[in-house]
Amino acid sequence: MIVQGEAHLSVTLAEELIAKGLTIESLIQDGLTAALQSLNAKCTNEEFNLLEIMLAGRAMMAVLDNVVARHLPPSKTVQPGADRTIVLGTIEGDIHELGKHVVKMLLRSSGYRVIDIGKDIGPEEFVNRAIREGAGYIGVSSLLTTTIPSITRIRELLKKAGRSDIKLIAGGGAIQQTSKDDLNVDFVAQTAFDIFHYLKGLKSKA
Amino acid sequence: MNNAMTSFERVLNTLKGKPKDRVPVVPETFGVTAKTCGYSIYEYVTDASKLAESQLKARSLAGHDILFSFADLSVESEATGCKLSYKEDQYPAVAGPVAVNAGDIKNRDLPDPWKDGRMPVVLEASSRLRDAVKDTCIVAGCMMGPLSLAGQMMGLEHLLYQMADDPGAVDEVLDFTEEVARRYGMALLKAGVHCHVIFDPVASPIVVPHEMFRKLELPRLRRLFSEFRRAGSLISWLSIAGNTRKILPFYREANVELATVDYTVPVSEAFDLLGTVAVNGNMMPFCFVSCSPEEIKEAALKCLEETVERGNFLLGSGCEVPVEADISSVKALVEASQEFAVVGNNR
Repeated sequence: MIVQGEAHLSVTLAEELIAKGLTIESLIQDGLTAALQSLNAKCTNEEFNLLEIMLAGRAMMAVLDNVVARHLPPSKTVQPGADRTIVLGTIEGDIHELGKHVVKMLLRSSGYRVIDIGKDIGPEEFVNRAIREGAGYIGVSSLLTTTIPSITRIRELLKKAGRSDIKLIAGGGAIQQTSKDDLNVDFVAQTAFDIFHYLKGLKSKA
Repeated sequence: MNNAMTSFERVLNTLKGKPKDRVPVVPETFGVTAKTCGYSIYEYVTDASKLAESQLKARSLAGHDILFSFADLSVESEATGCKLSYKEDQYPAVAGPVAVNAGDIKNRDLPDPWKDGRMPVVLEASSRLRDAVKDTCIVAGCMMGPLSLAGQMMGLEHLLYQMADDPGAVDEVLDFTEEVARRYGMALLKAGVHCHVIFDPVASPIVVPHEMFRKLELPRLRRLFSEFRRAGSLISWLSIAGNTRKILPFYREANVELATVDYTVPVSEAFDLLGTVAVNGNMMPFCFVSCSPEEIKEAALKCLEETVERGNFLLGSGCEVPVEADISSVKALVEASQEFAVVGNNR
């Protein structure tokens, strides 16, 4: 239901399953996480398109906001730490946001706290917000190669602030043609799921 | 040097399968040309004489085989009422949609290409370019495809959600944007362009499923290209970036004669998928800023080698040459084509 992008039906079905005794943990594990894995498989097989993933993301968010959030015990609603917090934005000189929105939906669906700081954002703001929000990661999006100098500055500013521990991830459009050295970042994502896997990999190493 | 033909003859002969002196070089050079005259991007996209001068100057420096009468991707959306955000040295961008509901678009007034927004700027640039080169070089008029313009007018997220939630209303939006494209395309032709390039980033399979391309966009592209051809357009040229493997086999059905294909699809595979449609591509655009002219030339020579058995190939950038690139990077493509012809490999 989620993978097919049926938001209303997904919420109704989730409510019914909970009423029948399904636990929230099972709903997340066997419903939402399984849906996410199925989308991931499509992405790996180049079956991915923005429309389908946005519809699935919308359905997933509807279940999270309308069903999961209402049934979660208070202890589970504690704000995630740095290892599950990411500041996302489109760098200055660019106003494209769609890719960023898709990443936001995917990460939120996977339990990350995502702080979307918007579009046309200067490198200083990325760093300031990441420090202020206690984020472990910065995700910088851009469609245009003209923004590369601004992206490379984020690392310099992080170093200056003594926060080289914050990981930098870049993705989107022309940026995909570059390397992490070109951009002075830790990772260049080719797809929205790449970021998800990268973060997961970091967690398992920690 | 091997420049026995004019650029015009070189391109058309290639498309018709006739003999040519070398492979035509037709990279997507837009804002990058402004720098050759010392103009900002803002000046390039708002001043017809500067746009035309930039295109002509860049071609005189690099020697490529095409002139684009094209400012930026927001000309049509601005003419339909979208507010743009302008910056001195960047392309203008749509600041917000004109209407987020599909139902609100269909009743809007259609733009008059001779009056609205910057359409008159591009029309004047088309006339200037044509006057300057007559029939020695193709002047290509560029426009947005119906789906892509709809994405700008509504905001892409709203368009995509409503494609699922209210397909009938989206169909009416596409009727509107198709009509915008038809009117603008006809005006471009009247102003002097030789042919039409339709840019359609939203029609890419990475944005919408390929079934939707076939159902929603293909019939509209077919109608547009057919009508332009009947009115005298010399080439029906479609440019969609990204991994287009799934839609390339349907280009012929849309009356496309020349397809721009980017680096994500290997050129030999593109030929196989496109059938008789000619291919323009497929250098990696970032290469134009990250590689030296020698490296670009080497990569171009490899591309020419790979396509030597295919008659209908035009060397290009696959997507826009970045505005911050140096024009010498474009010249490197021309030198590769000339060198390839001189050593006798060109067929």
